[in-house]
Amino acid sequence: MEARPALSIQRSGASQLGSLGVSGGLSSSLSIPSTHLEGTYQKLPDIQQVPSERELTTRPQAHATRVPTNNGVVGHIFSSSSGFSSDLHYSSVLPNEKHSRNSPFISQSLADTASLPLSQSSSSLLPQPTIPSCCNKENSGSWCTDPDFLDFPVSTPVQSGQVENIQRSEDFSKQNDWQEWADQLITCDDALTSNWNELLVDNVTNLEPKMACQVAKPCTTMPAQNQQLPSPSVESLRVVNPSSSANNAPAKPRMRWTPELHEAFVEAVNQLGGSERATPKGVLKLMKVDGLTIYHVKSHLQKYRTARYRPESSEGSSEKKLTSMEEISSLDLKTGMGITEALRLQMEVQKRLHEQLEIQRNLQLRIEEQGRYLQMMFEKQKSGLDKLKVSSSNPENPAATSDATKEAPTKSELESSQRDHLDSGTGTVNNAKSMLERSSREMGGEDMATEAGDLEKTKARVSETSPEQAAKRSRIEE
Amino acid sequence: MKFGKRLKQQIEETFPTWRDQFLCYKELKKLIKLISSALPIAAEPTKYGKAEAEFVYMLNNKIDKFNTFYMEQEEDFIIRHKELQQRIKRVMDKWSSNGSRTEYNDEMAKIRKDVVDFHGEMVLLENYSNINFTGLAKILKKYDKRTGGLLRLPFIQKVLKQPFFTTDLVSNLVKECENTIDEVLFPIEEDKEETKEQKGAIMVAREPVKGIFRNTVAALLTMEEIRRVSSTKDHFSLPPLNLSHSHLIHSFQLNSPIPIL
Repeated sequence: MEARPALSIQRSGASQLGSLGVSGGLSSSLSIPSTHLEGTYQKLPDIQQVPSERELTTRPQAHATRVPTNNGVVGHIFSSSSGFSSDLHYSSVLPNEKHSRNSPFISQSLADTASLPLSQSSSSLLPQPTIPSCCNKENSGSWCTDPDFLDFPVSTPVQSGQVENIQRSEDFSKQNDWQEWADQLITCDDALTSNWNELLVDNVTNLEPKMACQVAKPCTTMPAQNQQLPSPSVESLRVVNPSSSANNAPAKPRMRWTPELHEAFVEAVNQLGGSERATPKGVLKLMKVDGLTIYHVKSHLQKYRTARYRPESSEGSSEKKLTSMEEISSLDLKTGMGITEALRLQMEVQKRLHEQLEIQRNLQLRIEEQGRYLQMMFEKQKSGLDKLKVSSSNPENPAATSDATKEAPTKSELESSQRDHLDSGTGTVNNAKSMLERSSREMGGEDMATEAGDLEKTKARVSETSPEQAAKRSRIEE
Repeated sequence: MKFGKRLKQQIEETFPTWRDQFLCYKELKKLIKLISSALPIAAEPTKYGKAEAEFVYMLNNKIDKFNTFYMEQEEDFIIRHKELQQRIKRVMDKWSSNGSRTEYNDEMAKIRKDVVDFHGEMVLLENYSNINFTGLAKILKKYDKRTGGLLRLPFIQKVLKQPFFTTDLVSNLVKECENTIDEVLFPIEEDKEETKEQKGAIMVAREPVKGIFRNTVAALLTMEEIRRVSSTKDHFSLPPLNLSHSHLIHSFQLNSPIPIL
């Protein structure tokens, strides 16, 4: 029974899996009469089903708390595989980029080998038919295509396959132990596939759903979270993708708190008698928010307590207290005034920064939006031109190049016009509008020289208005 | 290189605990150099693909870090905001109706200071978000330029949706703070007689404020510098910053250990 230990090595991420020596021990223990095994496995699906169902609605933390209960039942294999599934949730990234080179292989072989039992599971007889069906469904959802599992897949066609693999490997690996394991896996690849075949041929059908469920369980939770991502549940709870974990903190999928949520939290705490007396569990129950786990509540409660019990000291915490005497002497300017004056000044500067940040952010958003829009248009034009290429040969080239180069100036014209609009709003709005009209006309036209000239003019205008406006503003404010 | 220098300055000026939360621009630039020199795209497409994947991987790591830090701070801000509002309510209820004007003033002064500081911190968090975004955009641009890749546009689209860049919540809190300050806190009877002792106390008590103030000034000036005419201006660059009173703000740079030139 080589297949089983190989499978467990694949599935688990614990350190002992560095060597295949484990398999020796396992196989001996597993060469028990198959009936006995079947008996235990039949028990397992019962236990497993409850958590897996619940995981469809709750966060992976819950998963972690329930899985260990299985350890007692079966023992070695499943404890390690549960370790794997929790790793899957709580880790996100490979620690070294060096390892990522190997990872495509890992995920490739994993994906291959994993798909085999999962596909088989649907056909096997099972005490709990729901599990394999959900496994199967999730399997196809998350293993094969995985469209928005991680928010960052790069969609360039060339690298998509590799990027996906890298991301999958991010899922499965946690520590350097994984790397050793991965190396093993790469070398044993052939052996494993043959083992898989053995496994399938063997009549231990009850094993498959078990493995499948162990494997697929992480999958069940992932899509659940994906569903939570785009459609926030009650009270605009926004749950961040679990792959973005905290810095080496085990198991904390980040949650994004909102003021409304915090209000509910405060109410619950007050109902329970104040921040000291309230317990995370109680608050969690009272709040009744989907997707909120006790860990979230716990950490939030801690923050809340510290915030309350240092109300008089600097709100920001001691990091802001700069003890050096330089600090005091460096701002003599400020100490010349009274407190309120100084505060007002500080407020002014802060407001200014905030204002500028807002403007800058909006600009950035628009720039990117336009970039995308123009890229789309460019591609449309290009595909149109490619079609033309079929018919004729010569006229395209100049047209293509002029399109490409035209795109740049018109884009910047549009942006400059928008900048005018944002920055000044004192009469250059009309200019902006006329420029927009002109540039939209010229998208069809071919006159580049004038556009380039216009571009320079608008940019000069933007920087010219600045000193003018500065002068105006200072006059007004004084 | 200009942005890298500015970023470094900004990092040095920032709060100590925030220092390693920024984008490691220089490292990424080095990585790009390595990639572009080692792997011409045409030669070995598979290797290039891997290198790009690594680069993406690193960027994703950074983004995760930003997100975590940002949301952590955001959560803190939400809590503090609520607390401040409650404090204000309590003080107003307690003392505005009774006599003891001085106590009321004292309390309000403290609250005022705290609110202004709080406002400042939030704005600095927004600045953090923005600077990191700018850094990412620049590094992606460099990457595309050096390696001829097409990474920038789609990647940036993803970044735009990330929590650390969707600063609406903090922005709203900032505005609420401003409103609170304008309406509630600042229309006060100016205590014209501020004795020397009070001023002395002010000096000591204002240490934390100085950190924030100095930070804010630095942030503004950095922004101005970054947006001055750059060498590679194209349709994705931001225009020069139009900063009124910039001469005044520059003057706050007196005796700062790292003068921003």
